[in-house]
Amino acid sequence: MSTDTDADASPEARAREQLIDLAAQFYDQFAGGDVPSMEMPTRTKSNIKYDEEEKVWVYGDRTSTRSANSVRGAQKLLKAVYTIDFLARQLEEGRSSTLRELYYLSESWDLDEAQFSSQDESNDLIEDLEVVSGVTREDFHMRPEESGATVMGPLLLREQTRRGEREIHCQEDVGEGGYQIPNNPDTIEFLDNDAAFVLCVETGGMRDRLVENGFDEEMDALVVHLKGQPARATRRLTKRLHDELDLPVVVFTDGDPWSYRIYGSVAYGSIKSAHLSEYLATPEADFVGIRPEDIVEYDLPTDPLSDSDINALESELDDPRFQTDFWEEQIELQLDIGKKSEQQSLASRGLDFVTDTYLPERLDEMGVL
Amino acid sequence: MTSYQSRLGAEEGIAEELAESQRAISIAEFFEKNKHMLGFDSEARALVTAVKEGVDNSLDACEEADILPDIYIEIQEERDYYRLVIEDNGPGITKEQVPKVFGKLLYGSRFHKREQNRGQQGIGISAAVLYSQLTSGKPAKITSRTKGDTQAQYFELIVDTDTNEPEISEESTTAWDRPHGTRIELEMEANMRARRQLHDYVKHTAVVNPHARIEMREPDAHFKYERATDQLPEETEEIRPHPHGVELGTLIKMAESTDSYSISGFLQGEFTRVGGTTAEKVIANFRDRHYGRGMAWRPPLKHEEVDLEATVADAVANKGKEATADFAEQVADRLGTEERVAHHEIVAVVDDVAADIEDAYDTTFGGTVRENAVAAAWDAVTAERVADVYALVDGATTDRKDDAVVQALAERLAAKFEDGRHRVTRETLREYVDRAADMTEERDGATVGETAREKITDALWEAAERVPDDPPRVHAVANDRDTAADLLEAMRETDIIAPPTGCLAPITAELVEAGLQKEYDADFYAAATRDASVHGGDPFIVEAGIAYGGDLPADGAVDVLRFANRVPLVYQRGACATTDVVKSINWRNYGLDQPGGSGIPNGPGVVMVHVASTNVPFTSESKDAVANVPEIEHEIELAIREAARELKSYLNKRRSMQQRREKQSKLGTILPEMAEKLAAVTGREPLDIDDTMARIMNNVLVEHDRSDGTARLTVENNAGTNADIEVTAIASAEPGDVDGATVVEMDDEYFLKWSPTVNSGEDATLEYSLPADAEVSVSVDGIEEEKLTVTP
Repeated sequence: MSTDTDADASPEARAREQLIDLAAQFYDQFAGGDVPSMEMPTRTKSNIKYDEEEKVWVYGDRTSTRSANSVRGAQKLLKAVYTIDFLARQLEEGRSSTLRELYYLSESWDLDEAQFSSQDESNDLIEDLEVVSGVTREDFHMRPEESGATVMGPLLLREQTRRGEREIHCQEDVGEGGYQIPNNPDTIEFLDNDAAFVLCVETGGMRDRLVENGFDEEMDALVVHLKGQPARATRRLTKRLHDELDLPVVVFTDGDPWSYRIYGSVAYGSIKSAHLSEYLATPEADFVGIRPEDIVEYDLPTDPLSDSDINALESELDDPRFQTDFWEEQIELQLDIGKKSEQQSLASRGLDFVTDTYLPERLDEMGVL
Repeated sequence: MTSYQSRLGAEEGIAEELAESQRAISIAEFFEKNKHMLGFDSEARALVTAVKEGVDNSLDACEEADILPDIYIEIQEERDYYRLVIEDNGPGITKEQVPKVFGKLLYGSRFHKREQNRGQQGIGISAAVLYSQLTSGKPAKITSRTKGDTQAQYFELIVDTDTNEPEISEESTTAWDRPHGTRIELEMEANMRARRQLHDYVKHTAVVNPHARIEMREPDAHFKYERATDQLPEETEEIRPHPHGVELGTLIKMAESTDSYSISGFLQGEFTRVGGTTAEKVIANFRDRHYGRGMAWRPPLKHEEVDLEATVADAVANKGKEATADFAEQVADRLGTEERVAHHEIVAVVDDVAADIEDAYDTTFGGTVRENAVAAAWDAVTAERVADVYALVDGATTDRKDDAVVQALAERLAAKFEDGRHRVTRETLREYVDRAADMTEERDGATVGETAREKITDALWEAAERVPDDPPRVHAVANDRDTAADLLEAMRETDIIAPPTGCLAPITAELVEAGLQKEYDADFYAAATRDASVHGGDPFIVEAGIAYGGDLPADGAVDVLRFANRVPLVYQRGACATTDVVKSINWRNYGLDQPGGSGIPNGPGVVMVHVASTNVPFTSESKDAVANVPEIEHEIELAIREAARELKSYLNKRRSMQQRREKQSKLGTILPEMAEKLAAVTGREPLDIDDTMARIMNNVLVEHDRSDGTARLTVENNAGTNADIEVTAIASAEPGDVDGATVVEMDDEYFLKWSPTVNSGEDATLEYSLPADAEVSVSVDGIEEEKLTVTP
């Protein structure tokens, strides 16, 4: 992983070398009269396992093979080789591009068969390359389209931008929107902080409520906005805040199965990027709510569970990431009451309820405050 | 007529007046007015029909005489008329027969035979003569020479339409270059607008008669269809009718004229496939229908209310105490061992026991005594019937039926058997069941459905016993329509093996294929001949053939060739059972394009169907279309499907080869590009990817390496099956140490040939020495091109 910075070579040079090694592997297969193929971990729920040491979920032993045996497979490998060629050159020239740009760029490749038919295809291919080369997308200089989310709180940092270094205080130097997390948060250096904990919030509405109520100032909280399913940069930054500044991390989401998955990807890593779990996941992150228990305890306004909600909850019961006493109890309770609630349903008890009562009570209970 | 009718009765003597104008019409006269029925409805069609009748006659004549047919057809334009000449090398016709064969309708040797022939009614050629004389006014000119005759007979004749007798206008002897054969020359009003049908007819005739040589000369064209085999069709034999194929009238006629006395003898003597056993089965079924079965009941057990023994003993009077007791005991014992007894069984037991007792006690048990005993025993046995019926009904119906309903049904059914011997036919039994069931439905509000009724009837019928009555004599069958009908039904319901097929001469699958190959230039041929089957007592065989691909026209529907007894059917395609079957098959299953999933499929194909039978059912006298007989349609379908299955596997294989080629061509673009890119990215030398290609395609890879004086051929089999191949190296100098190859030198070139077998996944190496400056090329046979990679 590129986090173990190599003293001798720049991350770019190392990434480039890894890619060319992969190409060389195909070359050797051809030269030996074999069918070119690449093997990678099977990326499904059934093939992730808990890494005791790192305390994150990583891919298991099952692998699948991409082989030139079929026209489809050969075409996939051809695209991979073209992409390797492109990435190697990009790294050589010190440039970067977005995932979407890669998709459009393939249109200019001379061979029709090498072009991507959809952006999903090119995104997947980049992930494949990450998995087999062990280099992260960021080190390939590939960015996602949308930038990461925002941070608000008592934190002073220095960001290495393309236009020089900037020192930014995430309360004093930013507007109400907060500090925007860059695509590669490894360009950030933490200088100073007065923070007590990190609070990751799922929805924009709740984040704005917390900021308006001055929760970050009052509680010395670093409010990280997840914007739904968090981008890699958001998760990476959260992990660094925890690891480097030794801050407890808590996650505050809606009370429905989809939101539990958001918590899951912050804490345990996602199935699609389990190869990067050690780099992105914060296993120590705790779940604040909304818990099904809260729905009952605070008598929150609810919606009934839909069929797809029920399926999702049942599938979570099978998900190795959720096999803890806490989650089993909560999920079974929710299936029992058949209801779900949003974060903002707390407003039924007044606009200040969340900051004055709910969060302090919960955080106290969890031992964060 | 209508004016007479409106005043009927008002005028005396009308009937007499009408009678004066009523007279028999000759058959010739009838057909003169109904030409269309014989296929002479238009001038265009008349020519085709005349050719067809002439050629069919010639082919039949040749085959009967074991002669390979050689037929010549000529059509000349003669001012207002067409002149048609048909010549064959058949056995010729004797002087006496010629006028009748050509100048009398319905004269022929085949109408009464159950044997496969092209012509049957003896109408065809004389109808052509009739048509010719009616349209041109000219007589038919016939030359015929029988084998061994020095001279040929020459006739000019017409059909006298009043009497249906030939009218000879000239008769002489003449010289003829053919040693034997027949020639007919007709002039008629006609045109060539139906040229396509004419050509189809002749070409299709050539397809199904690969043993015939046919030549046709037209005003502007000349066709020759050569012989593809010297094998004449199997000779056919005449057969007796099959029991499944006669109708009531025919049966009565046969019964009237037979010499047999018993039905069994009649069946065995007059029908095919009936021996002693089959005759017994038919008679058993006949008994069931004619006499009915005797309902059998469970005899009362010892402890039951009715004491069988006592009842029988009471019925016997004045026979001595001991004899009576012994008699009653024996009768009761023997009946008691039976599960069920019918009336006739009691009669048999009583007779039997009575005879024994008579011997033992030296007394007589006369007819009256025996009758009394039987009546008493029967009363005892039938006293309690409800329980028996209940058990049968309960066993036959589902357990969902309410017990009370079953009981009610049983009671009502049991009551139907009131007096007499309880003899019932199955029909009567069903009536009983229906009446009992209807009543139960009405009174008890339960439903007894059709299936349940049928099952109950079956159960009762099974429980009833067949009666031992002797069947009536044959004359009784001939004299009584109902008896005859019972016998006919019994014959039909008995399983009897299909009639012998010696009376049929199928073309055989092999020759169907040969015929198609001869006339159609296709890539694929398949044929199937079904086993013989029966419809209406006439055996028939269906054959199908398919030709596909090659030079056959790819646009539009496939051609459907229809044949009956080796005669092509060219008209009324839409009315033919063959066409209906072809349309009903889902050809998409067999890999052909079929818009809408039904109808004639599209593509470069020919589907041919041949129905051979002693009596092909046609839709009309002009014999253009096979009638929709279900048995025949079924066999046609099976025959076509059999051939079509081969077509499917051929098309699948072709498609898989096509896919293989496509895959090879796609990978042929992708992999070299990938290899080139890889060399560029890694900065290494360009790659050779042939080995990889061969492995991906599961191909057999043959590599040829040469270093100094040694050449090495490596055969690598990447396929899933073993490869038996032939590798040939053609060298410009003499090779040495050829590793078991056969070497042939020709014009300074050396042909080295190996025939290695390489198992799946294995390699073989063939080494030989060859001067370094010699040129050599390698070719490989015995494997599809798509499955082979040869380098360099």
